[in-house]
Formats: sequence, C-alpha cells, structure tokens
Amino acid sequence: MSKYETVIGLEVHMQINTKSKVFCECSTQFGAKPNANTCVVCASQPGAIPILNKKAVEAIVKTGLALDFTINKQCAFARKQYFYPDVPKNYQITQSEPPLCSKGKLAINVGGKEKVVNITRIHLEEDAGKLVHEIGGRKLDYSLLDLNRASVGLMELVTEPELSSPGEALAFLTELKNIVEYLGTSECSMEEGKMRCDVNVSIRPIGQKELGTRVEIKNMNSISGVRDAIAYEVERQAEALKSGGKLAQETRLWEAEEGITKSMRTKEGALDYRYFPEPDLVPFDLPDSFIEDLKKQLPELPKIKKERFIKGYGLSEYDANYLISTRTIANYYEDSLRFLQDKKAAAKPIANWISTELNAKLNASKIDISESPVSSQNLAKLVSLILSGVISGKIAKTIFEEMYEKSSDPEVIVKEKGLMQISDESAIIKICEEVIAESPKAVAEFKAGKERAIGAIVGLVMKKSKGQANPQLVNKILLEKLKS
Amino acid sequence: MNEILKMKAKELKTKICSGELKSVDAVKACFERVREAEPKVKAFLKLNEEQSLKQAEDVDNKLKTGAKCGQLEGVPIAIKDNIMVKGETMTSASKYLEKYISPYDAMVIEKLKDAGAIFVGRTNMDEFAMGGSTETSAYQKTANPWDIERIPGGSSGGSAAAVASGMVPFALGSDTGGSIRQPAGFCGVVGYKPSYGLISRYGACALASSFDQIGTFAKNVTDAALLTSVIAGKDYRDPVCEPNERIDYANDIDNPDALKMLKIGIPKQQVDYKTDSEISKYFNDAISKMKLEGAEIVEIDVPAYKYVPALYKVIMCAEVSANIATFDGIRYGYRSPNGINLNDEYAKSRAESLGYEVKKRILFGTYVLGAKNYRRCYRQAQKVRTLLINQITEAYKKCDFIFSPATLQMPIKFGETLPEECDIFLTAANLAGLPGITVPCSFTSTGMPMGVHFMGSRFSDAKLFIAARAFEKISGFDANKRPVF
Repeated sequence: MSKYETVIGLEVHMQINTKSKVFCECSTQFGAKPNANTCVVCASQPGAIPILNKKAVEAIVKTGLALDFTINKQCAFARKQYFYPDVPKNYQITQSEPPLCSKGKLAINVGGKEKVVNITRIHLEEDAGKLVHEIGGRKLDYSLLDLNRASVGLMELVTEPELSSPGEALAFLTELKNIVEYLGTSECSMEEGKMRCDVNVSIRPIGQKELGTRVEIKNMNSISGVRDAIAYEVERQAEALKSGGKLAQETRLWEAEEGITKSMRTKEGALDYRYFPEPDLVPFDLPDSFIEDLKKQLPELPKIKKERFIKGYGLSEYDANYLISTRTIANYYEDSLRFLQDKKAAAKPIANWISTELNAKLNASKIDISESPVSSQNLAKLVSLILSGVISGKIAKTIFEEMYEKSSDPEVIVKEKGLMQISDESAIIKICEEVIAESPKAVAEFKAGKERAIGAIVGLVMKKSKGQANPQLVNKILLEKLKS
Repeated sequence: MNEILKMKAKELKTKICSGELKSVDAVKACFERVREAEPKVKAFLKLNEEQSLKQAEDVDNKLKTGAKCGQLEGVPIAIKDNIMVKGETMTSASKYLEKYISPYDAMVIEKLKDAGAIFVGRTNMDEFAMGGSTETSAYQKTANPWDIERIPGGSSGGSAAAVASGMVPFALGSDTGGSIRQPAGFCGVVGYKPSYGLISRYGACALASSFDQIGTFAKNVTDAALLTSVIAGKDYRDPVCEPNERIDYANDIDNPDALKMLKIGIPKQQVDYKTDSEISKYFNDAISKMKLEGAEIVEIDVPAYKYVPALYKVIMCAEVSANIATFDGIRYGYRSPNGINLNDEYAKSRAESLGYEVKKRILFGTYVLGAKNYRRCYRQAQKVRTLLINQITEAYKKCDFIFSPATLQMPIKFGETLPEECDIFLTAANLAGLPGITVPCSFTSTGMPMGVHFMGSRFSDAKLFIAARAFEKISGFDANKRPVF
C-alpha cells in the first residue's frame, strides 16, 4: 500500500437554510406531506417562470466570504439538461461560469498538523424532488413522485483534489459543517439529506505527476461514511493495481451496511448536459453594498472564537476546542456566562460542567445542547451557588440530576429541599460534638496517633448533616476538638 | 353586418358603461358573426357562448346597480390557446395538452378579468406556437378570412383571423419571431408586440423564453393600445418584466402632428430580399404619404439583417428544446400506454403526441447545444445577436422608427412554403427585444390586405402607438371592409 498516494476531491451539496425555495415561494419545511410544498413553478406547469430568492444568494455569498472566496459580482444561471422524473422541468437551474464564489480555502487540522485545502467554487442551484419506490418496506410496482424538495436551494462546493487521506476528508467535512452551521446558511445534516457529499478518489504511485484513474463515490449518508468509503476505495484500487488490473473511470455507490462500494455506471455512459444560459433569469450584478452588508453580518467564526475563549477566559486549548466544536455548544457556553457576574471565576467551572456532566446526559438521551433540559441560565445559577459557597460541589451533582430530569431551577431546589451548605460554626460544632460522643472507637484511634481515622469521623459528620456541612469547617472544628 | 361589430372596442366599452349598449348584445353580435364566418375560417379551438352570455348578463346587471365600470367592462375578447385561464383547457394546439386544465390565471388574464373583459373563445395556433401558418395545429387549419384557400399566417393565426373576420373586436396573441405581426399583416388587422419585458409572460406557455411576448390584435391601433394598457405592467412573477409606470397607451394617441419631423428609417438591406411587387408598390406609396405629412425618410444600414433567419433558428430552437422537455408525460399531459420502461415511456409519450415541426425544433435545438456544437452554433449565434442589436441601436441614432413591409410575400395557399426571409424585419424585433406593430396598409389587386411594420427602440411603445395611429389615419385602408362569407 505504501507505494501509492491518494488524491481526493470533494463535491459537497448543502441545502440552503431559507424559508422558501430558491425559485418559487413554496416552503422548504422538512417532513411535510408529499407534494404539499409545491406550486406551478416547482411542479413545472406551462407558463410558470422561476423567480430568484435573494436570501439564497445571500447565504452563498456569506459562506463564500467566511471561506476566503472571491465573490463574483455577476449572478448568472444556466440550464443543465437531463431527463429524470424528479426534475420536473427536465433541466436543473444551476450556475456554470461564473459561479457566485471562486477560489476559497479552509484550514483543517489532522494529527496536530494544519493543512490549507483550496476550494474551487461554490455555486447556487436547485434541488431535485424525490422518487418513492416503496411504502413501509413494501415495494411498489410503480413509483411515486414527491416534489416537496424540488427547487429547494442548494449550494454546491467543489474542492481542489488536494486531500490525501480519509482522515483529511473527514476533517474537512467536519470543519466545513461547523463553519456553515456557525453561519447558519445550512443545517448540514447528512442524515436528513441536507448535506450530501460525492467523492472523487484516485491513487497514483508516489512521485508520479499525472493523476490516476478517477472514481466517483456517491451515496454516503454520514461524514464517517465518507471516511469509510474512501478508505475502502483506496484499498480496492490498490489491490486492483497490485494484481495487475486496470481501473475504470466510473461512478460507484457506497453500501454502508456491507461497507463496500459497488459500480453504478462507467464513464462511457457520460451525459451531455447541454448547458446554456437560463433565459428566464437575466444575469445581473450584485451591488457592492450587498456584499459589504453581508461581510458586516458575518458571525464570529470558530477559530476566532477559540482564541477569544483561551485569551479572554483563560480556558485550556482542550476546553476551548470542545466548546467551539459546534455553534450550539459555543452559544450555550456564552449564554451561561452572560448570567454570571464574575465571568473569570465562572469560565472554567461552566466549561467543565458542559463538557462533562451535561455532555454525558445529552449524549445518553441523544439531545442537542440547543434543546437541553438544563437551560444555560439554570446552569449559570448552579455554578453561582457553588462559587458563593451556598452548596457544595457534591450536592451540586445531586441537584443537577433533578435539573436535568425536571428542567428545574437550582435555586428553587436548594430552597425547597433546604440543601444550603451549613457554614454556621455553632451548628457544625454541635454536630461534631455529637459524632465524637457517638464514635469512641474512631476517636480513640485518632488520639492513639492514627491521624487517618479523622476521615471516618468527617464522613460521619457529613452524613449527619446530609452533606450540607461545609467540609473545610468540619475539618477545622474536628481537629480543634480532638486535639484539645 | 351588425353595427355593433363596426364599433371600436373603446366605443363599445363606453356605451356598455353608460348603459347605451348591453354587453349581452355585444356578445350576441359576436356569436352571430361566428355562425357566419367560423364554419369557413375555423379560427377557434373552443367557443364559450353560454358562459360568455352569462358573464355579459352579470355585467349588465352589475352596471344597473351603478357599480364601477372596468377598463374593458363587458367587451368580448378572444384568447390564443397558449395562455392560461384558470379552470379551462389550454392545449397550445398540441395533442400533448389535449386534456390539460390550467390550474391558474396568466397575469394578463388576471388583469383582463379585473378589467371586466369577456372571454368568448380560445383561438387556434401553430402547435406550441411553432410555425408561421397555423397549419401545425394538431386540431384544425385556420383559413385566411380574405381567401379561405390561403393561410392566415401564424403562429397566432386564429386570433388574427377572428379579428379580421369581425368575430371579436380584439384578441390576445403571442409573438416569438413575428407570430402576432405576420398574421396581422396577412389578415389585414393591427398586430402589436411589446418591448421585451413590458408585459408579463407569467402564464403564457413558453416557446423561446428570451423572445416570447404576449401582444394584441385589433381592428385599429387605438384598440390595440387600449388592450395593451390593461395588460402591461410590472409583475414580480416574471423576472424579465421591467418596472414601468402604468401608462394609458390609448390616451393622447391621436396627435395630428405625429408624423411631422418624424424620422423614418428604411433598411438599406430591404432590396436584398425578393419582395412581392404589389407589396413593394404599396409600401413605397406609404413612404410617400408619410413624406407628405412631413416625415423625413432616412436610409439605415443594418448588415446583420442577413443573419436574422439563421440566428433566430439557432437560439429559438435551443430554448425550445429545453422548454418543451417538461412535456414528458409524467405529471400531466399525454402519457403513452405503450411504454415498457422510463426512457421508453418518455420517448413514446413524446413521439405519439408531438407534431413534426415540434420534433424538428427539439432535435435541432438539442444539436446546437451539444457539447461539440455549442461554441460554433449557440454561442456564435448569441454573438451575432449582439452584433445585430448593436447595429440596430446605431441605426436609431439616425431615425425614430424602422419601417418595412410586415411581410415580403402575400399569404400562400395551404401546404405551400413561405421563404424563410419573409418576415425577417419582424423577427429582428424579437432578437433585439424591441416593440413592433403591423398596421394594415392597403388591399392588393386580388383583394387581399397587406400591412406595414413599425419597429421602435426598447420601451418606446407609447411613441410607437402614436406613430402607428398617425399612419393608420393616412393609409387609406378601409378598416370597415369585412370579408364576405
């Protein structure tokens, strides 16, 4: 294997996050009844004419700006012609030359090494509808057509063939998804089909300049699926070449369950799409002010946010990485901090609570942090209670359980259950005296010089106080009493 | 013939609104004439007599209560069968759409409904407006009312023939390469195609999207202008429809000095084309008449006219091949019962329902867009189109309007072929997005009408109507003469 190197290029389709479709006024809502979101335009009735959704153009330009693209001012569309029932016009409105964005880049980090991947273009196009061949597992002897997705806006992003391992492809897609989610320009869920990725893979002997025979892989429905498909394909190609075989330029489908790729069609059957300029949408120039305004609207992107978290809040690189890993986590974190007075003191504990307790719970119940039963404000209150010494860290964990179960306010729980930490010395002295009286054996051991026996006595005090006694005070008072 | 049918549409509307005339009587008069003329002319694919009379009655009753009178209240109109009217069939004269029911109103139909117009019927046309004789209709051949052995022209031949024979005062058509103005010339009526973008195309079955415009037929220029005033205007559903003020094109259309100082450009290239001798004669007479009124005649030079037929064919067919692709038998329209798999079903549905001319254009358009031909065919044609536009723009520095015969030949008999340069001066307007209007000029020795064509610069439509109206007054053409059946 080691004598080959891998060359990978990605084509990523992301559904643009707009309320209405890109060329008509229909809703883009996911999960609507079949054909509920259709009109004369997206169902291609005679006389219907596409109209461009400005928000879709904005989303693409925003994405382009965030990825260091050159924005081409000319906005022009083309018809890409092919017959298929899910494309009602039998052509797709897309962009040929120029795309809205040319020449961008994205930095990825694999194994601690940074690599900048060049991206060729991002263009705007419309999605196809969906053909349904079975209902509830029952195969139909006809096909049903659902045009709800037809003409939903897509951004297609094409990279240069610069990725060289399945891990790099994974890192690229993860980073891309993260940035796009920060921008809010697409929801990027591969599972819902809102992000789709086609991969071009070839291998060549190390040192060879010409690219090897290119194979296109489709049908991956998760980012890890993309990684696995590439890994399989690289191995398959190397095996084929090693055994003296030749590779065909073809399109292969990833079969996730079997973990293999299968040939779908070879290049000989390649289609001539007969592109030509879309006459219904006359090309126009984006005003400079349009692009400038979008530039101003760009949110803080993950890289910058990470630096700010490290510098501003004194977080470790590890914590910062976790917090910026999705926009929703970062938002949750900053929302929590917003409720706290002493942000410096709270920054680290809030980060810890999110990355450990909350993360574990959310993972277990498969909930995104944006829908967390523990609101950012309630988490802030909890940490505030700890920092001000009202409750102990230990009690906080118990409270957190209830906060998660019932979405309740920690201050209310503490009040209702009387869980305030006892810091009143006289109260603690009383409990200590009782425990000392009740535990002659342990007291004797301590007095005989076995200092560790104090641990057991402290434990008994804590137990008696239902965990509410301030542990530092308990320690101090016990020592005073026992040594006197 | 019924006196009502001799009235201008404007007059009809005024009289209906004042109660002097009943809309019902206007509609009845139309259908009386239909009974005389239609058996021979066959202009209509569908007539809505009952429904029209009912609508007319409603109008009359409504007006009795003193209700507000719409711009075309109670006035009958015919609609070309490629324009969507909600709930009605729209065949585009194709077997493919034989049973298709429009799910919505075209923008022009919305406006006509608001204005109170009464749709008496749907007119015949070439299939999907592909043709210049109305012979490619899948349903029937329409005759030229002046000589029923001859073609009415096309593709809007039904609308032209319906107006020419006096069955309706005016009609809507569509014009992609002369489809309103050529049949208007052949049938002796006024035919107007607006500047590209003046009237919304929303709801007009697309032929070639970058040329298509809905336009108007009438017995006279004023009525064509009146109808245009009702249907023109910005529509967000057609992105090429440009913002413009609501203009009443019929108001102030009569300007006694309109021809004075007007510069009329005559293309130098006209002599390069074989022109019917009578057409030449009457055309030259028309020039003389305008000179007498004080117009200045200037020669203009547009060498690219010679490319018009070729570049029109390339671009139009390219757009046709994509636009007609949607007629695949999947969602609506004809579906072959003989398909054995998806591709076979596509092929058979189209093969069995589309006519020869349509197939020819699809094939040609597919060819010119093929990866191997795109540069030398489609892109080259677009470059020449720009050249033509530049030359015409240059010509307008010397003149206000470009003047030519509407057609270079008289209408042919059924089955004969028109030379392809017959209407190049009309097609140039589509290629350059310019407004053009055909005005009847004279009757020739055989009793057939011939027309002339004024082409203006982009969005000079209001001025174009004024010039056309001024010419109409001096042309000597008897607009009240009607074909006899």
